[in-house]
Order: sequence, then C-alpha cells, then structure tokens
Amino acid sequence: MIRFDDVTKSYLTGIDALAHITLEIDRGEFVFLVGASGSGKTTFLRLLLREETPDSGSIWVAGRDIGRLAPARIPYLRRNLGCVFQDFRLLPNKTVAENVAFALEVIGRPRGVIKTQVTQVLDLVGLGQKMDRRPHELSGGEQQRVAIARAFVNRPLVLLADEPTGNLDPATSSGIMKLLERINKTGTTVLMATHDVGIVDEMRRRVIQLEHGYMVRDQARGIYGDASDTRVRGYSSIGVGAVSGDDDDLVSMPRRQVRPRRGRR
Amino acid sequence: MRLGERHGVVAVSFDYVAKETAANLWRNRVMALAAVLTVAVSLSLVGTALLLRQVVNRQISQWSNNVSLQVFMNSNATSQQLSEIRVLISQEPQITTCTYLDHKASYLQARQVLAGEPTALEALTPAITPTVFRCQLQSANDAPAVAAIFNGVPGVFQGHAQFPAQSVRTMQRITNILQVVLLAIAIVLLVSSLVLILNAIRMAIFARRREVSVMKLVGATNWFIRIPFMLEGLVQGLVGAVVAAGIVLLSNVGVNYLVRRYLSSSTLPLGQLILTEVVVVLIGVVVGVVGSTIAVRRFLDV
Repeated sequence: MIRFDDVTKSYLTGIDALAHITLEIDRGEFVFLVGASGSGKTTFLRLLLREETPDSGSIWVAGRDIGRLAPARIPYLRRNLGCVFQDFRLLPNKTVAENVAFALEVIGRPRGVIKTQVTQVLDLVGLGQKMDRRPHELSGGEQQRVAIARAFVNRPLVLLADEPTGNLDPATSSGIMKLLERINKTGTTVLMATHDVGIVDEMRRRVIQLEHGYMVRDQARGIYGDASDTRVRGYSSIGVGAVSGDDDDLVSMPRRQVRPRRGRR
Repeated sequence: MRLGERHGVVAVSFDYVAKETAANLWRNRVMALAAVLTVAVSLSLVGTALLLRQVVNRQISQWSNNVSLQVFMNSNATSQQLSEIRVLISQEPQITTCTYLDHKASYLQARQVLAGEPTALEALTPAITPTVFRCQLQSANDAPAVAAIFNGVPGVFQGHAQFPAQSVRTMQRITNILQVVLLAIAIVLLVSSLVLILNAIRMAIFARRREVSVMKLVGATNWFIRIPFMLEGLVQGLVGAVVAAGIVLLSNVGVNYLVRRYLSSSTLPLGQLILTEVVVVLIGVVVGVVGSTIAVRRFLDV
C-alpha cells in the first residue's frame, strides 16, 4: 500500500528531516509512527500527501510512484488518503453534517450519495444525533470524531492521523482509538503519528520510530519506548546503542539502512 | 487500484459554484462594492470617450463630404456685383450646388445663430444683414483654394468667405486632445479597478483559507478551488460594467441633445450604441477575470 524507497528529505537548514527511509506498509495495517518532536514524523506524512517532494528516493502509494504524479493528479492521490490532525481543522461556520458533507461536495459527488454517506459515517463515529450542531458546541473528543468522519467518508485507502489524541484526555483518547481500530477493521490502512505512550503500549501494533530523521526501529506489536525488542527490524546495522537515546552519536550513524524484511505478525 | 481511477471532466456543480460565489461576494461586500464602483466609473469614462469619438467622426466625415462654402456679401452690394459672383460660381467646377440667401432669409438665419445674445439681436435688422451665397463643394481639400477666388472680388465682405474645413480641423484637434485625456484617466482608473478586484479576491482567499486548506486536504481539484474566486472577480467586473453601460446610455442621451442642438449630423445609430455598450461590458469582464486570475495565481497556492 505504502512504500518508501530510500527516501531523503532535507529542508533549507541542511539538516535531514528524513534520511534514507525505506519501509513498506501493507494494506489494512495499523501503524504507529513515533519519535520526539522534530524527528520527522510530520515530514513523513507531508511526503505521503505530496505536500512535499523527497530530495531523493521514491514513495509509492497504491502501486504508484507519487513523485511522478502530474500536479493535476495530486488531488486524486489525496482522495485516497484521509487526514486527521491534532487541531481537528473543522470549519466553525458549518454544522457537523455540513463539515463532513463538504469533503464530498468539493470532490463533486452527487447530492444523493453525499446525504446517505454522511448519515452512515456519522452513525459510525457515534454522532448521528448531533448532525446539526456546530463544532464549538461539541467536546474535543466529539470534534475529533467529526474530523475522522470527514476523513473517512470518502472511504480512503489510508487514514493518516497526526497526533489525533494530542489534545484529548486519556478516556476520550481511548474512545478515538477504538474508532480508529474499527475503521482499520474495514480494511483501511491506518498510519498514526503519536506521542502517546499509553496508547501505543496498550494497542501493541506495529511501531515505526524516527529519530532525527532516521528510522531507528520498525517493530511489529511494539511499544512506545522499547528498543531492545528482539523483533527489531531494519535497524541491525545501526546498533542498539544509537536507539537508546544517544543523540550525540548522530554523526557516526551510517547513512545506509537495511531494508526491513517482509512478513511480520 | 482506486488511485488510478479517472474522474474525467472536473465535476464542478453549478449549484455549488453559484452558492460559493454569492456567499463570498456578500462576505466581502465592502471591498466588492469598492471594486465595482471603480470599474463603473472608469468604464463610463471609456464608454463616453468612445461615444464622443464616434459622434465627432460622423460629423467630420459629413463635413468633409459636404463642405459648404459661404460667401458673405457686403450688405450694400449692388445687384451687378451679385450677378458677377453668380458667374464666378457657375464657372467654378468644384462648386456643386449653390443657394442665395437674401436679406430676409439671411436675417432669419442670423437670428437663430445669435439666439443667445439679445443685445446683438436687437441691433440686427434685415437691411444690414449681409446676404450669403451658400455653396456645396466636391471635396474639402480644395475649400481654401476655392474660397480664395472670392476674396477681394468687389462686393464680397472682405476676408469673410468662409469654409468649415478650418473649424473642422480645430474641432478634430480639440476632440483628439479631449479623447486622449479621457482615455488616460480611464486607463488609470481601469488599472486601479484591476488592483481593487485583485485585492478583493485576495481578501476573499484569506477569509476562506480554512476552507481552502480542507479542500486541498480532501482532494478538491485545483480548478474546483479556483473557479469560485475567479467567478467572483468576473462578477465584480461584470456588475461594474453593467452600471457603466447604464451611465453610457445616459451620456448618449446628453450627447444626442448636443448633436441635435449644435451639429448638422444625425444622432448615433442604435447599432453603434449597442457596439459601444458591448465593448464596455467586455472590458469590464476582462478586467475582472485578469484581476482575479492574478490574485488566484499569487495568493492561492494550489
């Protein structure tokens, strides 16, 4: 579904935001992207959406090299990638139903389709009763559900979530995670960037850890801070020492990453 | 693979675009009004300048095709002198037709010309009014030469053989200057209305940046995002132009009045008036589209 092939991206500062990332995410997987602020998680997501292009390497989504996509085709790529953010990004002057419908309206779906799909997806996220509320009348958790509904209403292949629980309390967060799991069960690939240790540890899903732009861990059924897991992959050439937070050692990090072996779980 | 799926033509529903454009215009109504008014003012100047040009050109072409030469006689010219002039006129091949206005006819004419000056009118009597030979010439170019024949002939009011070509040239020169001035003002105003439309669209884009970012996120095509903004600029240009067309219609009434009052040519035919209005509206549309296109290109990074 998603493949990064030796992807490097640096910004004007000259520091690599992402360095030699090679990984593959299968259809229907649930993946956590973890790492400190500035480790490259957001760059990773922006590259996937082609808001940025890599300096080298190629990124494949659904069998297509998105680096070679004509600019006019980028919107069609994004229709396959639902997006959820920490700050919800709802439109304050639209109701819940209108917010969700907006995502379909602007890609030219017929009105009849919009109506049924909006009702369906709002029932799925448990907001069927609050369709006519405005975002400011909802709690944070409910707003995030609307955002998820909006991201999912077009049935994307992949759901990208950038710290979706970052603004929410633990109880609400776990509700959001249940919802994301349910969406994952429909066959949608979920890729979630997070800082939330509790969630990652509890879910025991695949964990990809970034540090200063390097992928330092790719672990099936991982936990947030674990570096010594025997199932660590794509990491052997770096050595465990670099993972345990020895940031000063960055320079000595080898530039080459080992391609992760396929077939986990 | 769904990613490769082709959606064909951009499905921009008319409903959606109309709704968005109307909502945008309303939200931005002060800026929109400023833009519309500037377009209206500048285009009414353009339109009026165009009208004036056509009226003047019609009058000039009429004059040049139908130049009249007036030979003013002394009021006490003898009948022999008159018949000598008649002979001269009949010998001149350039002169096509000629009419003679005697004291009475000439006096009536003079009364009309001097209608606005009561003191001069009072002093005028049929007896002292000079009689006039009013002649048509074949071409305007020879008018000075033909006029010179009569100057100095006994009985001719010295140096007062007139031909309109001089006044035509003066009028042409004055209207040319007037036109250049009007057009220069109009161009400055058109540029400022373009900038105002550009700014109005920029504000609209800024006001809707949340919507735009969500639209990009969920995969709205670039044209789908752009079209409402561009249409907004087009509507502003169009509305301004329609107002200007109305003003041009009014100024046409005024121009017609002046033509009837002071000029010999007929008023502007409907066809030319309609053409002028169409040109005005088209300029408005172009200004609107260009302004909003620049705004969309510069401020809407899709």
